[in-house]
Amino acid sequence: MSIVEIRVPEIGESVTEVTLSQWLKSDGDYVEMDEEIAEFESDKATLEFPSPNAGILHIIAEEGSDLQVGDLVCKIDTAAAKPAATATPATTPSPEPTPVAKADPTPVKAEPVSSGKPGKVEEIRVPEIGESINEVTLVAWLKEDGDIVALDEEIAEFDSDKATLEFPSPFAGKLKIIASEGEDLKVGDLVCTIDTGFAGASAPAPSAATPAPAAQPAPTPAPAPTPTPQPAPATKSHATGHPSPAAAKAMAENNIAPTQISGSGPDGRITKQDVLAFLRDGGTAPADQVVAAVEASGGSREQSRKKMSRMRRTISRRLVAVKNETAMLTTFNDVDMSKVMAIRNQYKKVFEEKHGIRLGFMSFFIKACANALMKYPAVNAYIDGDDMITNNFADVSIAVSTPKGLVVPVIRNAESLSMAGLEGKVRELAKKGRDGNLSLEEMTGGTFTITNGGVFGSLMSTPIINAPQSAILGMHRIEERPVVIDGQVVVKPMMYLALSYDHRIIDGKESVGFLVEVKNQLQNPEQLLLGADPVKLVLGL
Amino acid sequence: MKYDITVIGSGPGGYIAAVRCAQLGMKVAIVEKYNTLGGTCLNVGCIPSKALLDSSEHYFNAQHTFSEHGIGVGKLELDFPQMIKRKSEVVGVTTGGVEYLMKKNKIDVFTGMGSFKDKNTILVSGEKEQTIQTDKVIIATGSKPSTLPFIKIDKKRVITSTEALELQKLPKSMTIIGAGIIGCELGSVYARLGTKVTIVEYLDRIVPGMDKDIAKELMRSMKKNLKIDFQLSHKVTAVSTTTRSTTVTAENKKGESVEFKAEYCLVAVGRRPYTEGLGLEHIGVSTDERGRIPVDEHFQTAVPGVYAIGDVIKGAMLAHKAEEEGVCVAEFIAGQKPHINYRLIPGVVYTWPEGAGVGYLEEELKEMGREYKVGKFPFKASGRARASMDTEGFVKVIADKETDEILGVHMLGPRIADLIAEAVVAMEYRATAEDIGRMSHAHPTFAEAMKEAALDAWAGMPLNI
Repeated sequence: MSIVEIRVPEIGESVTEVTLSQWLKSDGDYVEMDEEIAEFESDKATLEFPSPNAGILHIIAEEGSDLQVGDLVCKIDTAAAKPAATATPATTPSPEPTPVAKADPTPVKAEPVSSGKPGKVEEIRVPEIGESINEVTLVAWLKEDGDIVALDEEIAEFDSDKATLEFPSPFAGKLKIIASEGEDLKVGDLVCTIDTGFAGASAPAPSAATPAPAAQPAPTPAPAPTPTPQPAPATKSHATGHPSPAAAKAMAENNIAPTQISGSGPDGRITKQDVLAFLRDGGTAPADQVVAAVEASGGSREQSRKKMSRMRRTISRRLVAVKNETAMLTTFNDVDMSKVMAIRNQYKKVFEEKHGIRLGFMSFFIKACANALMKYPAVNAYIDGDDMITNNFADVSIAVSTPKGLVVPVIRNAESLSMAGLEGKVRELAKKGRDGNLSLEEMTGGTFTITNGGVFGSLMSTPIINAPQSAILGMHRIEERPVVIDGQVVVKPMMYLALSYDHRIIDGKESVGFLVEVKNQLQNPEQLLLGADPVKLVLGL
Repeated sequence: MKYDITVIGSGPGGYIAAVRCAQLGMKVAIVEKYNTLGGTCLNVGCIPSKALLDSSEHYFNAQHTFSEHGIGVGKLELDFPQMIKRKSEVVGVTTGGVEYLMKKNKIDVFTGMGSFKDKNTILVSGEKEQTIQTDKVIIATGSKPSTLPFIKIDKKRVITSTEALELQKLPKSMTIIGAGIIGCELGSVYARLGTKVTIVEYLDRIVPGMDKDIAKELMRSMKKNLKIDFQLSHKVTAVSTTTRSTTVTAENKKGESVEFKAEYCLVAVGRRPYTEGLGLEHIGVSTDERGRIPVDEHFQTAVPGVYAIGDVIKGAMLAHKAEEEGVCVAEFIAGQKPHINYRLIPGVVYTWPEGAGVGYLEEELKEMGREYKVGKFPFKASGRARASMDTEGFVKVIADKETDEILGVHMLGPRIADLIAEAVVAMEYRATAEDIGRMSHAHPTFAEAMKEAALDAWAGMPLNI
């Protein structure tokens, strides 16, 4: 028989971690080669994962777990026959009730633990996680000290700079916790030990191994303690889950039951720090205290809490990073939309008949920006280390709101596409985005971004740059406003434009010039089509 | 102006509540009937009695143990008025400390008798009449010495603890009714100074509520060293006085009537909640059959916004219990959720040897049917105790037979009023006897007795006995 370990493949240049959102096959299923067995969610897209081999599937990673490229996802027993023969050795535990077989239904796991042998204590250290990660924080123990853990069972949760990782036990056996929750650990630091001699002893540890205080000789007549078999695991005691006075107060104030917290104090006592850590890591929010202070006025005051999706977490991290790492500021202008609207009204029908697509506003803006980007290359450039990269093409990212969050598919070479070509592309990408079908390729790159808050009714906003790009244009709602033209107050359909840009490489002259250029093109659509003033063009100026 | 909180009574419950409220950002007023702050505890209770206990202990030692230490003092003289004066100075400094705390926390002090006009208006009747507008009120009026129905306290010959701390001349003889904490402490003071003390007690034991072994051993010590005459199982039936003497008539176990004559009769039968003149009827709060104000678990009375703590509510009449409640009620009002573990409020008697206990009594555990084990260590076996000639007493640790969890600690001995704190900490964390046995205790200290008793309770293996 041969077992193939299936790991998270290289997905794309910038994707180093994925969330296993769903198993499409069940543990023990027979899968064909290239049959899709799981669904991964990366920062950018949902990917279906085809099995590279045919055989019996043994699921390792749990749904919802975050995985690094190279992490073990599952194993496939390629020697297994097709499902007709159900009694494959792979799925049937050994008939002998050896403890090993009980804990480890899969045959591979028999390797590290040979059943009859006396146990060996294995030291478990922080593994190499990724190139740039050399320190992790032990966020939580998922198993308690003294628990019997199975091979690959997740025993702890680490937080690195980049992700939260669940740490599977490399051995089966009895866990002895060394590092405590909240501790910062370096790669190679001791995390715990696993006594493989206990593999499979899922029942309470034998009393011989329980160093119960009662097992001491008692010379006095009064207490004649006999070794009492402890029903609970060795570390459990009468005080397990007992909070210190300060912890008890914090728990009462936050409606936390002792059962919700695993105490890190001696014998599982709950320390104040445990309660604070529980709250920090997303335990029950202190809603009740608010109620007490505010004297609830009758309405429902429920809160709910769930972990952010990986995509949401990535978005939040990126946005904050941009704010912190760039010299971002925003310049505004306004644009009279009458001519664009007139053209649109005039040609809407013909355009749709000819191209089979509606003529929207988006194509005008993309075109205007693409033209302006060619004129102001700094706006189309970006910083890479100490270098500045300029582009002679305008790959315009369009922010699309999807149920899962904002995505930014890219329209490549927008400067050379026709209006119909642009409009078609916008439509296609928006639909794909909403359906969650955008490929990584379609979302990578981009030299400039356009976001349209106007569709939600925004009057004015300061969009955040889509890194590593250097500028983003914010469109807003069109509304009729009084403007003064030649000393006359007239009503015009106006839109505010916002350009957020990275001042590190774009100067005020360029950014303002760019925005004025966009404005001029939109107010004079004939320029838009030719990329320049037609009169000047004709006159060769 | 309107206060957030008005505290009535400035004893250890009231002034601590006021300080905590102020720390939590409330604007606080405190009303005190007397001219000095601090209530019973500081003025006529804990502090002055400890001052006299320490003074009398020095005198007693000078008389009885100094020669053994190799110190001759010649003719020993007792300056009793000076002893009382020093006590008053201690009280003065201590109550002054409370005044400072009020200033520091910007708490306004109103001197006069506080009473409710309504639940938001407190009338202060002192040198002048004032009213205080307040959002909430904390009643912390404490307690007064109580008596028996047929006894008339004339405050001259038939006195309470308050007068017993103010005597100007050392009595030749004193009959004390009640062998509780107060009776034993004040009995010790006077017996040490040479007064012939007789303590008449209705029960068959002294210091009820404390461990039986403590009661037995303490009585033995007080009889032997202080020559106190204990008359247990005696029911006092009458107290009569002349200008110079008192006669306490009691019925003994056999039903015979016996008389105890002495210069003074100290009535130490307990204390009762003090609510007279508080105007509770104006806000619709009534007291229970023992005169206590009923409160809910947040110390709130039947009237929302009116709270009560300390001796005036149920529970042990102890300064440190009132203090805990003072902190708690302030925090409850601020929306926090503190908790008091009443089982772990220690009780202490400041005799010599001192007696202290926390947690369950053996009798209680027996009644509950809980299986327990006991470890005991006598101070006779303590090097520190021998060095200081304080070898009376013991530490007793009671632990759960199964889990070894410490369920009760009771001790009698030198400075154990301070040592009981270790037991409280251990029990708050539900430590086992073994836990204590494995913690280093400095040598040589009285505290080592705690460790040894714990080792004994854990596995019957004390190291030094």
